[in-house]
Amino acid sequence: MIQMKEFTFQYDTGKKPALKNIDLEIHDGDFVGIIGNSGAGKSTLTYAINGIVPHYYPGDFYGSVLVDGMDTVDTAPEQLAVKVGSVFQDVDAQMVATYVEDELLFGMENFGVPKDEIEARLTEALQKTGIPDLRFREIDSLSGGQKQKVAVAAIIALRPDIIVLDEPTGELDPESSDQIFQMLKFLNETYGTTIIVVEQKVGLLCGYAKRLVLLEQGEIILEGPVREVLKNADRMEEIGIHVPRVVSLYKELVQRDLFRGEAPIGLEEAETMVREVLS
Amino acid sequence: MIRFEKVSFSYMEEGSTLQDLSFTIEKGSITALVGANGAGKTTLAKLIRGLIHPTAGRILFEEEDISKCKASTLAARMGYLFQNPDRQICKNTVGEELDFTLERTVQDPIERQRLKDDVLNALQLDPADEPFLLSRGERQKVALASALVHRPQLLILDEPTTGLDYKECTQIMEYVQALNRQGVTVVMVCHDMEIVLDYADHVIVMHSGKITADGKTRQILQDPTALTSSALLPPQIIGLAARLMADGYSGFEGICTVDAMATQIEAARKAVTA
Repeated sequence: MIQMKEFTFQYDTGKKPALKNIDLEIHDGDFVGIIGNSGAGKSTLTYAINGIVPHYYPGDFYGSVLVDGMDTVDTAPEQLAVKVGSVFQDVDAQMVATYVEDELLFGMENFGVPKDEIEARLTEALQKTGIPDLRFREIDSLSGGQKQKVAVAAIIALRPDIIVLDEPTGELDPESSDQIFQMLKFLNETYGTTIIVVEQKVGLLCGYAKRLVLLEQGEIILEGPVREVLKNADRMEEIGIHVPRVVSLYKELVQRDLFRGEAPIGLEEAETMVREVLS
Repeated sequence: MIRFEKVSFSYMEEGSTLQDLSFTIEKGSITALVGANGAGKTTLAKLIRGLIHPTAGRILFEEEDISKCKASTLAARMGYLFQNPDRQICKNTVGEELDFTLERTVQDPIERQRLKDDVLNALQLDPADEPFLLSRGERQKVALASALVHRPQLLILDEPTTGLDYKECTQIMEYVQALNRQGVTVVMVCHDMEIVLDYADHVIVMHSGKITADGKTRQILQDPTALTSSALLPPQIIGLAARLMADGYSGFEGICTVDAMATQIEAARKAVTA
């Protein structure tokens, strides 16, 4: 479990706190989507979980962040890394190897994954991310989106209890983006992995996350099950969040007094909503 | 403005990344290059900018063969936004970053200042900010500003909205659209079909180094085979309209916007209850 209590953090280089008075509990096996505008504190929230804050980015740290009872301030990042796998926003900064296969092996060998398990995990990670054909490719020859998949594959091969991902689909096409989320769902459901993902594609995120956390200027302003948060579509639009267009349609139908049910998540539910209106 | 004549390109000796492409990009248009990861979109964008040259065929920019144009001429007439802003930004402040482009492309210092102020205001950037202390989204805006500050005739954007939140995304696309209305031709690589629907007037779909569809935005986005064969999904409202039509509901042809969809549902509802 991850517990943040009255957590405030200001980077040494920052003019104001990146996060303010954060009280947040993320339970084992949860699938949490973090949304918000640029500069809202989304990446900092992920850094607080994997210990990058305050160990690599120094600053004023108030309150506490506990990961499975370990205080992140007192725990070395390499110790936290065993528990928490991270996929960073800038994949180029994450890659350490020349070849895709080596990138996946690097983590597993360093974490002491038993030798007879390595091949199975490597194959599964490449398959789940849809890149078995890239196994022997040079990382430098890959497209931005392909690198993003390699970064995700390298982390899932480690099977950490918690995975934090900072915009893992930023450079991916729609089908590949969905593939990444299906893979996260698989890990969440099969191994009970806790997933915490920062994502700008709110429509996609809503189809997979159990809960949403909306940050604005360093504070949590909405938090709860996806449908509950989507009820505040007006507020989200006001802030500048990309509300899925089927949710905007739902709002419009409610406003025109044509529909009184819940906000749809995805096209299938939107179709059901329209069928209901027209029945 | 741009014409590809049987263009092929390969990064290695064996195999071809792009195969035998022929198409035209009209002056004054906003053309979206869409397709799955690895389809060849970025390679195509680099070819247009003259950063790499075809292994076969030729590319004409205003009827001139790009491979014969001077690099400085192309730099003055084209702006290019790279996929990763960190590969593009090279100066210590936002202001210096813009000066870097302007000093090489615009001679008149007064005009330089005017262009710089204009882009700083439009994208709400502070010239004193240090780019590498900004968020990814802000850095993307800095890179974009430096690509377009000199008002090139052709602006090539490789995933301009990656790393941006929706508000920033709308802000920069509206600015790009405003420049387009002033005559700047835009080519953008984009994965977000909602952005393509809202801003592009022309779409080129790519798959495995080939062009699989080329046409007006609405026509392409409403053609399910053009998209799904290239790992793309239609914008939600178009997707919903297609599902409703498949269910046998009529009147949903050509609907692309939330407002039009709500109005059609309201009309259909009235017909049901009448």
